[in-house]
Formats: sequence, C-alpha cells, structure tokens
Amino acid sequence: MPENISIRIDGEYVAAQEGQTILEVARAGGKYIPTLCWLAGTSSVGACRLCIVEVSGVGRLLPACTTPVQDGMSVTTTSEKLTQYRRIAIEFLFSERNHVCAVCVSNNHCELQAMAQKLGVTSVRYPYAYPKLGVDVSHPRYVLDHNRCILCTRCVRVCTEVEGAHVWDVSGRGIRSMIVCDMNRPWAQASSCTNCGKCVQVCPTGALAEKGFAVDEMVKQDHNMTRLTARRGGHS
Amino acid sequence: MALSLEEQSFADRTITAHAGRPGALLGILERVQEHHPHKFLSSEILEYVAAKTDVPLSQLYSVVTFYALFNLEPQGDHTICICRGTACHTRGSRSLLQRLRLELGLPEESEDGADKLCMTTPDRKYSLRTVACFGQCALAPVVEVDHAIFGHMNEQTLHREVEHLTKEKKK
Ligand code: SF4
Ligand code: SF4
Ligand code: FES
Ligand code: FES
Repeated sequence: MPENISIRIDGEYVAAQEGQTILEVARAGGKYIPTLCWLAGTSSVGACRLCIVEVSGVGRLLPACTTPVQDGMSVTTTSEKLTQYRRIAIEFLFSERNHVCAVCVSNNHCELQAMAQKLGVTSVRYPYAYPKLGVDVSHPRYVLDHNRCILCTRCVRVCTEVEGAHVWDVSGRGIRSMIVCDMNRPWAQASSCTNCGKCVQVCPTGALAEKGFAVDEMVKQDHNMTRLTARRGGHS
Repeated sequence: MALSLEEQSFADRTITAHAGRPGALLGILERVQEHHPHKFLSSEILEYVAAKTDVPLSQLYSVVTFYALFNLEPQGDHTICICRGTACHTRGSRSLLQRLRLELGLPEESEDGADKLCMTTPDRKYSLRTVACFGQCALAPVVEVDHAIFGHMNEQTLHREVEHLTKEKKK
C-alpha cells in the first residue's frame, strides 16, 4: 500500500499518496495547472514546461507532471512569476517553428493556441527560427506537418503505450529534433502503423491532422481517447 | 543492398553476447559499426538488429541519431576531426576547418545548430568531422587525425599531416 501523506497546494491541505505527482494530486483536488505535453493514460515526460510550479524551499521551478509529492511539501500553482515563465515557454514554442494560425487546419481547435490565449500571450519577444521542414502526406488518411510540431511527444507515447505500435519516435537532438516514423520512412511505409488515428487525435496542434479538412476545420475527436485511457487506469 | 551472411552472423553473435545486459543496444550498435569496413550502420543492418532485438525501428533510429558516435553514411579511409569547442574556436579552428574543406573539395555546409558535422569525400578517402571539445583545451586548436591527437595546429601543420596521409596511401 502506498503511504498516505499530506501536502499543501496554494495554502490548502490536500491528501495525497506517495508516488503520485504534484499534477495528479492537484487535479484530484480540483486545482488547475496548465499542461500541454501531459496526456492522461500515458507516461509523463516534462517536455513543455507549462506545468511548472513553485515548491517552497526549492530554488528552481519544478514541472508538476513529473515531480513526485513529498510529505509536508508546499506547492504554489499560480503567481505572477509562474505566469511570466509559462508565457515564455509558449513564446519559445511559437518562435521555433511555423505557427501561423490563420492557415492551419487546427485553427480554433488547437491547444497551443488556446493556451497562448489563456495565458495572455499577445506577442513573441524572440526571433522566429522558422526552418523549412517537410510535410508527410504519404498516408492515405492523415498528414504530418513538421512545421507545426512542438515535439510534445504525445503521438509517440499514445502510439507506443496505448496502441502498442511504436511507429513514432524523436530523432536527432536539440534544435534538430524531429518526430520520425520507423527508420525515417514516409508514414505510408510504416509497417507497424495500424491506421488507428490515435496520434492524430491527441496531437495538440495542427501537426497531425486528418486529410480532407480545410483551414480551421479539423476538430479533434479526443473523447474516445479519454475513455480508452481512463480504462487503462487514467494514471499520468 | 542485402546483408551478407557474414554480417548477419556477426550481428547475431554480438546480440547473443550482449543479451540481457543493461545498455546492451548501444554496445551492439557500436560493435556492429566497428565491424563494417566503412565504419557505419546501413539501414539494412539497423533493420536486422531491430528485428533480432525486438526494438521498434523508430526507437532504434532515435538512438542512432542521438549519439554522435554513430554514422549512418559510409566513412572515409582516414578521419580528420577538428575541434569546434570554445577554446579551439577562439584559437582559429574555423579557418582550419575552412582550409581543409577547400583542400579536400568538400562543400560548404552551415554549422548552424549542428552539433556535429560529418562529410566524406566522394572517393571515400577522407572524412571530415567536428567535435564539441576533446578535453585538451590547453593544446587548442586541437585536431585528431586517425585517432592521433595533434595540438597547437595551424594551417601549415594541418596541411602537412594530410599530405602525409596521402603519401602513406601511395606507397
Ligand atoms: S495511426 Fe495509430 S498506429 Fe499509426 S502512427 Fe498513429 S497511433 Fe500509431
Ligand atoms: S506531431 Fe503533434 S503530438 Fe506529435 S510531437 Fe508533434 S505536436 Fe506533439
Ligand atoms: S505538462 Fe508538464 S512539462 Fe508539459
Ligand atoms: S575546445 Fe577544443 S579541446 Fe576543448
């Protein structure tokens, strides 16, 4: 049995169990912490840094989705400083690749866009990198546009951990990182893809989308995913 | 190009020898690369190793593109490796790189964001690479020629070393 402990979130005492993450405890207690890379039912990777929180006695900000709770911990989820840093995290994502919403299939149905609006990001202070990356249209039903990818690895995790196919992974490192299919093959040649569409539905941006949608039309059908992942235990 | 039986059996033996060890995959890939006369991992051998070790193709590709140690292209007979770390940069390693590039007739490639640069001449005699620091900064600029470290290099001494390699080849 995991031990019962108690932590404080924004001043309130919350019951928790050893082994849970700050995010799990906060969500269970009805507290909102913004997230982007986190996906229910799959492992946490701490890639986007939107879920950062302050933990008293710790000098740096910690990602709530990967930090395990400790007895007596005191967590702050909202502050001026946190908002500042969360905005910076979003701005970095915007400056890295091409996120021109007006011409994106996921315009108005995009978690990145929604998060930026929620956090009040109105401009990007950093120069845009905008590398010209490829678009994989080989799959008969889906497309992958690397230019919209934020490398959250949701597609990698859902395909590996829920579908069990492990079609995607991340190649290279640093600024050269790219989502890759099998041995860097076009998607249509992926021997392991079952065409289940899970990766498309969980992708927070317009990077993975269904074919046949015009700009603005791609609504994600992620309720099926939520049901599936909940059945798997819904752990994060 | 299909894998030769010899390559397959070497891979099989290496995989068996590493079975069950933590971090086995890196060891296997390193051995297999070293075994190839051109010191690289072809997509055929990667697919073979993936099938034999039950590692998904994308994961294997992720590993071999993460570590600078692995080559996905055939390497030249000689490897010249120029340090592009901070100490060597301030002591002129960029001009060493440019000079060698001209000498070997290799195309200009932007170093922007690349943590490694690796080019091979079309005749596969030379491979030119960069590293981020050899840990010999006191000797900056440092160049490694076929696994031998040379410190305090300048364009002349580098030219001489490369010439030396060429002569060695002829005899
Ligand atoms: S469609 Fe399904 S199997 Fe294919 S890559 Fe996406 S999640 Fe994986
Ligand atoms: S393709 Fe979508 S889900 Fe996959 S890493 Fe990129 S943004 Fe995330
Ligand atoms: S949700 Fe925690 S780092 Fe992305
Ligand atoms: S910077 Fe070249 S050896 Fe350290």
